[in-house]
Amino acid sequence: MIQETAVLEVIFKALNNLNDELNDSDKFEVNENTCLFGANAELDSLSLVSVIVDVEGDISDLLGHSISLTDDRAMSQEISPFSNVKSLLDYIVVLAVEGA
Amino acid sequence: MNPKMYQDKVVLITGSRRGVGKAISEHFLVNGATVLGFARQEATIEHPQYHHFMVDVGDPDSVIRGFAALKKVTDSIQIVVNNAAVLTSQYSMIMPPAAAQAMVNVNLMGPFMVSREAAKLMRKRKWGRIINIGSMAASLEPIGDSMYAACKAGLSTLANVMAKEFASMNVTCNTLGINAIESDMLSQLPRDKIEEIISGLPIARFSVSDDILNVIDFYASERSSSITAQTVFLGGVN
Repeated sequence: MIQETAVLEVIFKALNNLNDELNDSDKFEVNENTCLFGANAELDSLSLVSVIVDVEGDISDLLGHSISLTDDRAMSQEISPFSNVKSLLDYIVVLAVEGA
Repeated sequence: MNPKMYQDKVVLITGSRRGVGKAISEHFLVNGATVLGFARQEATIEHPQYHHFMVDVGDPDSVIRGFAALKKVTDSIQIVVNNAAVLTSQYSMIMPPAAAQAMVNVNLMGPFMVSREAAKLMRKRKWGRIINIGSMAASLEPIGDSMYAACKAGLSTLANVMAKEFASMNVTCNTLGINAIESDMLSQLPRDKIEEIISGLPIARFSVSDDILNVIDFYASERSSSITAQTVFLGGVN
């Protein structure tokens, strides 16, 4: 079973990688409350895509099978998995449990 | 040409078994690249740096499986040539829907899926070249090629939008609109009609492989980092 800490590490790594590419004035704080999507998002849409691609790849490697964070199910969640880091973490854990 | 000009490059070529795709594959191999070939059937190229994957680019699941397999060979791709295509030339009113759908799947959805997956690998190294093999049909819009021409026109648009999306990753996306070249695909068309079209072009001759490879090299060049969202037609088609 995948550990929440491992998932969180993957998400933080993707966000930190993105931060590394940004100008100092555009860098954002990375924690469980970091907003990923919506009016208060710290990321623009293209940056979010980059983070999703990184997280999908690394989580798939951890699980040993591919997962999709952008399928119809993800997009139809009452609370978007991309609201913030915590919601993304929770959604990935659900996917991992179902796929186990 | 420097025989090692592509020695550090991994190149994915779709439709690598025959015709233009095979010629492009062999060109990259001769120039030192590692070539990953996607095709529906067995390989026709034997080379220590050639890796073949049986993939139907018209099937998104097959493309995903192909990328999973190629990741066991390499974790990077620098250059993609979306070459695989199918052609059924027929008046629209009697075109079999299945043939029209196959053209959409292979000629448009295929490049979309391959570019999509390749870009995920290219972004890690922040360098990439995506080259689509288009057709003069996109511009000349010949009778009988409604769906084929639409797909090839769409291919340029696909590259142009991806060029914007991938620019920050230093990945360029361009299209080469080839004209008639001796191939299995050309043999499906009435020879007299093709010769009539070619005779009306500014450069009134069939293309040869080197015409294509010249533009491929241009798009793939390190020096072409600012060349993106472009379509070059051979033979004076515009």
